[in-house]
Amino acid sequence: MLTVEKLTKVFPGGIVALKDVSFAVSKGEFMAVIGLSGSGKSTLLRCVNRLITPTSGRIIWDDTDITKARGPELRRIRRRIGMIFQQFNLVKQSSVSTNVLSGRLGYVSPWSSLLGYFPSEDRVRARRALEQVGIPEKIHERADTLSGGQQQRVAIARALMQKPQLILADEPVASLDPVLAHAILQYLEQLNREQGITVLCSLHFLDLVHRYATQVVGLKAGELVFQGRPKELTRERFREVYGEEAEMATLGKPLD
Amino acid sequence: MNPRKQHLLIGLIALIIPGAGHLIQQNFQRGLAVLISIPLLIGLACWQETPLVFAGAATVWLWSAWDAWRASVGRPTKTTIVPFLAGTIAVYIVALAATDIQPARLISGFPSIRPILSALTSPDILAYPTQDKIGTAPILVPCVEPLPRPDVQGSRQTILLPSASCAAVDDTVRITGLGFFPNFEGEMWWRNPIGDLQRLTKDGRPQIFKTNEKGEFSATIKIPLAVPISALPVPGQTQTHQIEARQHKAYGQLQPTETLRLVVTKMGETLALAFLATVLAAIFAIPIGFLAARNLMGAGKITLAVYYAVRAVLNIIRSIETLIWAIIFGVWVGLGPFAGTLALLFHSVAALGKLYSEAVESVDPRPIEAVRATGANQLQVIVFGVIPQIVPTFLSFTLYRWDINVRMATVIGLVCDAGIGFLVIQWIRLGSYNAMATSIIAITLVIAVLDYVSSVLRRHILTGVNFGKVKTFRQYAFRIIGVFVFAGLFLWSWNVADIRIDYLVRDAGNGLRLARELLTPEILTRPTELRSISAEIRTPRQSCPADEVMKTDEGPGIRLSSTCSNVGEPLTISGEKLPPDTRVYIRWQFPDGGELRVKENCCDTDADGRVSLETRVHSLADSEKHDGRPTRISIQWPEAVGGFQLSEAIKKTLDLALITLLMALIATTLGSLIAIPVSFLAARNIVGTGPLGSVLYYAVRTVFNLWRSIEPMILALIFATWVGLGPFAGVLALTLNNIPNLGKLFSEAIEEIDMGQVEALTATGANRLQVIRFAVIPQLIPKFTAFILYQWDINIRMSTVIGFVGGGGIGHQWRVWVQLNQYAAAAVATWAIVAMVWIMDYVSSRMRSRLV
Ligand SMILES: Nc1ncnc2c1ncn2[C@@H]1O[C@H](COP(=O)(O)OP(=O)(O)OP(=O)(O)O)[C@@H](O)[C@H]1O
Ligand SMILES: [Mg+2]
Repeated sequence: MLTVEKLTKVFPGGIVALKDVSFAVSKGEFMAVIGLSGSGKSTLLRCVNRLITPTSGRIIWDDTDITKARGPELRRIRRRIGMIFQQFNLVKQSSVSTNVLSGRLGYVSPWSSLLGYFPSEDRVRARRALEQVGIPEKIHERADTLSGGQQQRVAIARALMQKPQLILADEPVASLDPVLAHAILQYLEQLNREQGITVLCSLHFLDLVHRYATQVVGLKAGELVFQGRPKELTRERFREVYGEEAEMATLGKPLD
Repeated sequence: MNPRKQHLLIGLIALIIPGAGHLIQQNFQRGLAVLISIPLLIGLACWQETPLVFAGAATVWLWSAWDAWRASVGRPTKTTIVPFLAGTIAVYIVALAATDIQPARLISGFPSIRPILSALTSPDILAYPTQDKIGTAPILVPCVEPLPRPDVQGSRQTILLPSASCAAVDDTVRITGLGFFPNFEGEMWWRNPIGDLQRLTKDGRPQIFKTNEKGEFSATIKIPLAVPISALPVPGQTQTHQIEARQHKAYGQLQPTETLRLVVTKMGETLALAFLATVLAAIFAIPIGFLAARNLMGAGKITLAVYYAVRAVLNIIRSIETLIWAIIFGVWVGLGPFAGTLALLFHSVAALGKLYSEAVESVDPRPIEAVRATGANQLQVIVFGVIPQIVPTFLSFTLYRWDINVRMATVIGLVCDAGIGFLVIQWIRLGSYNAMATSIIAITLVIAVLDYVSSVLRRHILTGVNFGKVKTFRQYAFRIIGVFVFAGLFLWSWNVADIRIDYLVRDAGNGLRLARELLTPEILTRPTELRSISAEIRTPRQSCPADEVMKTDEGPGIRLSSTCSNVGEPLTISGEKLPPDTRVYIRWQFPDGGELRVKENCCDTDADGRVSLETRVHSLADSEKHDGRPTRISIQWPEAVGGFQLSEAIKKTLDLALITLLMALIATTLGSLIAIPVSFLAARNIVGTGPLGSVLYYAVRTVFNLWRSIEPMILALIFATWVGLGPFAGVLALTLNNIPNLGKLFSEAIEEIDMGQVEALTATGANRLQVIRFAVIPQLIPKFTAFILYQWDINIRMSTVIGFVGGGGIGHQWRVWVQLNQYAAAAVATWAIVAMVWIMDYVSSRMRSRLV
């Protein structure tokens, strides 16, 4: 259970990215976060694993207050939360295996990891994770020699290495073509269904929301304007979230 | 006022005050351009006394009045081609005059360069071992009375007899040799009192003698000026020189020559210097790179201040060429490999620091965030997220710097005794052109090879490094061997480069003084007059009146420990009530009219204006008889009179800085004019893939690549011999260096032409010329201009040092000032160089970023 209470983030310079956002996600949900560009989706996801420290409010995850965690405790929380990014965020100059293995950094002994040493069961697990996402043969390649879809799969493998109980996915498919988008989201769905991992995923395509999500929150200028089941997201509610410009777009088309 | 009159009035105002006509009409762009360019052109015309330039200025002026009038009646001229051309032509006329371009000298100076050029085709690599016969004979220069007889020397077999035992410079002496190899040629050499050898020449060529069948010869030689004017003996004294006749008879098998051995040794030293400097610079530059990275330092006020300070210092250090640093460090720790290494290191730290900081600034924050999100700690984030991103770029920049350092190290010897450049400059002085040719060829080859190696390695590193890839056993083994080889090379280089860190401390005083003087440029000076106070001393002692022997002379402010003494006895000269902290001179005026000025290190007054010097009683020659007549001893010091004026150093520096800029301008222009047509021959898409095209393509490319490897400093050295010292030699060297560099860049730009545009225009039915005019040239002009600006920027940097080897410009004067210990003047030139390089760097990069 992840509970967000009155979460507010004000960036230096006075930009209010989140304003009093409160909602709850129960374990095993696939929650989509929607909203216009700049509405605060990334900020919200980054607050959950504290890449951004919120200005006020609380995030409680299984009785732990994430907003209060610091140092080693924070890192222990982070290692149970996998994150997937729009630009994949692989270290381009490192091999695929190193990128995948870096998902274990929160678990292994810090000092030996600095020398590039990982326990052999981690290496086995890395290979298995790559098999799971369908690209075991790329293990020794340099990360930037892979195509976009392959890179995103490496990123998922990296997240899998963390044995996450929660996955944050910030527009994971915005840089991919529609077929690949489905492939990636199907992985997430599979993880969500089979392993009961909670998924928090920001999306821009409404048909994807309907197809994969079990819960939806909508943000508008940092405020929560919608929470409910995907099928409750009617045209009217949808216009509330996306504003008047939404008239221009029809359901299932990209909205910005 | 009626409008017609108003228009005429505007024209009239524009005629009286240049630019005013436009300014009134609020056309600030044209107005300011005219307002600035007219005085500038007139100034340039007066500077080089070129009347034609006045015509240029007048053209611009008249045009501006006409244009102002046209604008006021509502029909401004559209194109500014007339004043632009007039101004440009005027600037080039001034530039040609200032840089002393005289193509005729290429022809008239050719005889002096011919031996060098022909030597380049016959380098001194392999030779037969020789049996030598060398005869020497001492000779006194000049003759003095009474004549001391130098003893005739000579080994038992070979004897050399001059017709006179003394002679003056330019006299001819007949020499006879006995006991040489019969029927064989030999060379005549001259050795000065400190042992420097030089070849005797006749009609501009090395003098050769030939023995008869008995092994005898006779020849006439002309006494050369073998010591610097400043080291000539004072009148009444003489110096012992040696004439040497040498025969070398070959026998046996071909062997590597001594020259080749020296070249290889010194090349090793060169590479060691470059290697060591690069490795050390990389180590020092890493922390600096982080301090100079805006994305790391931009957050806080203090860190931002540090960032700006580090950037400024890096920029200043970078804008002073390595060769200048070499001379500065030479003054500090003494010329030699250590000074050379320090100079390379210093400049490299600044250059690498800047490059590294750019690498740090271009680090992608997103992967770092991703690693942090996995729960990694700070160190893990750095090792897994940051280091893989920066290491390949760092390595590539370091290799690039290594390449540059090898180039620099080959020429650093031209100014300090380190590396192979030192051989070049020595051999050119000795006239050993074949040996010099060997070293120049070696330098060129090594640079060409390293250029290639470093570019291949760099390409590999940027795309091929794969962090964390599982390695095979062989790869591990290679890595370990690599580490050992690296360590070995490092230790060897450390040794060869003669690193003496203790010298930095030992000579710290030297360095501090230098730093202080270089930081206080002499901008304003007051004219000085020499003031002096004096006292008298009599020699020898027995000729003094009895009562004077023990008396001390109490002059106004000067005191001698004795007023009557013998030559050579200790004497204390002290002065008081002198200006404090001033350098003073001691002047001896002897009874027979001779005089001596002594400037020793002691002779600075203290804060109370006192000075004291322990010396001995001087005389000009032991033979001199003073007979009790007084020798006058004065303490002299310069005293400022009158008001402050711009110093001589400033005037000279301004003059030379302008010449330097214009040298770079002319060289860039000439280089581009030649490179543009040639570059089309080196462009694959122009010459095609046919057999003729391929031959042309590879031929031009190869020539470019080899030619690029000839250092401009070496070219300058050669041209200084060819057309004489001065800016013309520098311009020629830079031009020749620019042709292949620009040619390569241009041809690459031509190869990148977008054929789509060409196709599109051809499809409209345009003919070939129209296609070139409308589809090709518009693509090329911005790129070419950017390259030309970039080259001009480089040329300005190079022309600040090209004067060290006779290429004119500000470098020559800078070095002269340093050699004369006039550091305050050298400081002016140094700061002028910094400012010049800085401004041009800024202007050129601004203009380039607007172009592309
Ligand atoms: N580090 C930051 N510093 C200052 N302002 C920021 C920062 N990050 C985000 N913002 C601002 O916060 C607001 C919300 O940004 P956020 O990135 O969360 O939007 P988003 O919904 O993810 O948009 P997109 O769909 O374009 O990714 C925006 O106005 C943005 O400019
Ligand atoms: Mg976002």
